[in-house]
Order: sequence, then structure tokens, then C-alpha cells
Amino acid sequence: MCIEIETRSEEETKRVGEALGQVLQPPDLVCIYGDLGAGKTVFIKGIARALDVDEREITSASFVIIAEHEGKYPFYHIDLYRLSDETDVSQLGLEDYLDGCAVAAVEWPEFLKDWTCSFEVTIQITENDKRKITIVGDQQRIEEIKRWLMEI
Amino acid sequence: MLVLGIDTSCDDTSASVLKDGRVILSNIVSSQSEIHSKYGGIVPELASRRHIEMIWPVVSEALEQAETALDEIEGIAVCYGPGLIGSLLVGCCFAKAIAYAKGIPLIGVNHLEGHLLSVLLNSPAPDFPFLSLIVSGGHTSLVRVDGVGRYKELGRTRDDAAGEAYDKVAKLLGLDYPGGPVIDRLAKEGNPEAVNFPRPYLHGSYDFSFSGLKTAVRNHIQSVKDRLEEERENIAASFQRAVIDVLVKKTEIAVKKEKIKRVALSGGVAANSELRERMKEMGESLGIEVYLPPLQLCTDNAAMIALTGYLHLMRKETSDLDLTAKAVLPIGT
Repeated sequence: MCIEIETRSEEETKRVGEALGQVLQPPDLVCIYGDLGAGKTVFIKGIARALDVDEREITSASFVIIAEHEGKYPFYHIDLYRLSDETDVSQLGLEDYLDGCAVAAVEWPEFLKDWTCSFEVTIQITENDKRKITIVGDQQRIEEIKRWLMEI
Repeated sequence: MLVLGIDTSCDDTSASVLKDGRVILSNIVSSQSEIHSKYGGIVPELASRRHIEMIWPVVSEALEQAETALDEIEGIAVCYGPGLIGSLLVGCCFAKAIAYAKGIPLIGVNHLEGHLLSVLLNSPAPDFPFLSLIVSGGHTSLVRVDGVGRYKELGRTRDDAAGEAYDKVAKLLGLDYPGGPVIDRLAKEGNPEAVNFPRPYLHGSYDFSFSGLKTAVRNHIQSVKDRLEEERENIAASFQRAVIDVLVKKTEIAVKKEKIKRVALSGGVAANSELRERMKEMGESLGIEVYLPPLQLCTDNAAMIALTGYLHLMRKETSDLDLTAKAVLPIGT
């Protein structure tokens, strides 16, 4: 099942992330697709907010690739921007991170070919500050996200 | 006293022997840019594998050039974060093994503290307190340094680091990695006022934000994509002007508010010619001293790790052998 939301600012994008974050629990893996500048990291700041991680801690993870945070659950912000192909992923030791005890959000998940994610998020730039966000996941939790969207 | 410094936090394996916390006897950096440029970025798997291959040769070379041997080393300083976890682990394990086998004190060093103190190897070196602007591919921080171990982070990036914005904009423009030198070169041929990109000043805060600027450049490139070839220099120049306006302005505000008379620059972006020029001008107009260390001390290097290790060793602050690598490590920890 899927939900589509239009946002008009970074703060609105963050709120959608927060609504998704509210329904996440280990071992959820969220894959986030979108071009450079679409707002993937902004969206993850929203997820972090819901998981009781200080959103100021969330910055681009392109440099470190895996950034670990501690909130309600361990939260891993993974950014595979600098990877080149699948063979590199197998060397990152991601399995050790995604051992079922944490929530993880992955930017540039195109390189994670064999992984199954709980939610697939796609952020498209429609106009300068406008974004179309699509979240695909199981029906029950998509309904929950809809309810959170009305509250947040 | 000789201290061996080791840094494997990102793309380079580096080792340095420092005498008495002042004289750099060797400072070896295995530049891996040839490998990385093929992939448009740092490939972590390659990076850690290369570090494993390079660490012995680089350390041996550092000892040889310093005309010394491991038996004469009295401290091993190793960078344990922040950085790529796999790469950091190589340096940490190597340093711990030597420290244990040879009975040499081990000092774990925060990479950012290394950047802050690297200017003390400059001649002349600044007195405390000074403001340090660290700008690199992974970091953008403005820090007040009151002494060894006395740091106050005034601001840092909320999203992308300045050097990262350079790399990503370079990629959007279809240019090579690393983006900094290429954009700096192109910018000289373009008009910095051609495009009025946003300056994210975040009034009332010393924090930085370069992600929105990156998005603005992306949007602009989309709008001129039919004539990108002829616009490239102008975009590079205008982007660079926006980044540097923000870096200089924030530093200037901090100088005035903190009433500090000295500013030091560190990190790979400190190599940028326009940034160096503008910082110098700011120093002259405010009547303060600006320290622009030579490039080999600005970019990642092990001499700054050795120096920081030495300063902690003098204060009897050493690490245990259970030292572990940390991908995220704030300043002053």
C-alpha cells in the first residue's frame, strides 16, 4: 500500500518523516530514494525526531557512510552516495549493523540490491521548494502514518 | 621525545614522527586520489583495503625519513574518530598492536582536535585563545580554542560539510573528484555575480548549512541545462562566492562577539585560494592575526595527530588498549 504527500517546505518534509518515524521499530529498514538536494537528510531528521534522537545530530552521512545514533532504539543513518557498485556494499559489514536491534534509514539504497526494506520512500522535486513524497509499506502501518500526519 | 602519529580516518594513510612536539621529522601521506577519482568519491571498501596495504610501508617510511626506529618512539598517537569506521579500525588496531608489543604509551586522538591544534606547528604559532575554522569534506566547524583540551564549539554544519558541497556541486557540473580544486580553478574564469545563490547565514547562530545551497545550484543547473557548457565557469564562481561569503561572515561575527584576536584555518578547504585571500583581507580590516598554515598541515596529516598526542602525553593523558574507533566523535571527547 502506498501514500502520497505534497510538501512545500523543509519543515513539512520533516513532519512527514516524523509521522513515519512514529510507526518504526527494530528491525525496520527504511530505504529513501531521491536526487541530490531532494531532501533525504531532511526527511531523516524528521524520523530522528520521532525516535527521540536530537535532530541536530543528524547531518549528511555521505562522509562517514554509517552514522550511529541512540534514541528510543539504536538508529543508524546510512548514506551510500559514495559507493560505486554492489561489491562494495558486501564489504561494509552492514549485516553487523542491521542485526535486528536497530532502526535504519538508508540514503542511496540503489546499491542495496538484495535487502528487503520495511518502507520505501521516494522524494521527488516538483518545483523549487515543493516535493512529492511517496511512502510504500504494509497497509496497517500506512494507515497509522496517515493518522500521525493529521496529529503532527 | 619522539612521538609517532598515525591517521587513517579517510582516504589517506599517513604517519609522522614529531620531535618534542615541535619539529616534524617526517610527515608521510599516501595520497589515494588516483584510486578514488575513478569512482567519483571515496570508496570505503577500497579505502580500508588500501589502508591495510599501505600502513606498514607508510609507517616504515616515516621512521626511515626521521632516521629513527620504533624502539626510540616514546608515544604512539592514533586517530580514533571521527571518520570511516573501517578505515579508522586499521589505524587503531595497528597502533594498539605496536603499543602493546613495544610497551609504548598509546594516545587516542580526535581527528578534529588534531585539526584545531595543527596551527601550533605553524611558524609563528598563535597564542591562546584563538578561533579555529575547520572546513573539509567531512566537517565544517567554528571552534574557540582556549588551550589544550579547552574547546568550545560555537557552530557546526547542520547538514552538508563545505567540502562535501564542493564535491556534490562538482558532480552536478560533471566535473572530477575532488571537487574543491576543480571548482576553485574554474571559478577564476567565471563571474561570481552571475548567479545570486542563497547565502545561508542562519542569523543568531554560528551553525552552517550548505544543503540548501547545493539544491539551489541543482535547480539552476536544471534551468540552464541546454547551455551548461558555457555557464559552467559562472556557476562555479557564483557557488564558490556564496560558500566563502558565509564562511568569512560567520568567522567575522565570532571574532567580534568572542573578542578574539587570532583566527586559524584548517581542513582541506583551507587550500581554496579565494578563501585564503578573503580571510587575509578580513584579518587586515579587523586588525587581527590570521594564521593560514601550509597546505600539508591543513589537509589530513599525521603530524597534527602526533602533536595532539604529544600534548596529551605531557599531561599524562594516555589511552587504554581497549581504545575503539568511532565514526561519530564530537570535539572535545
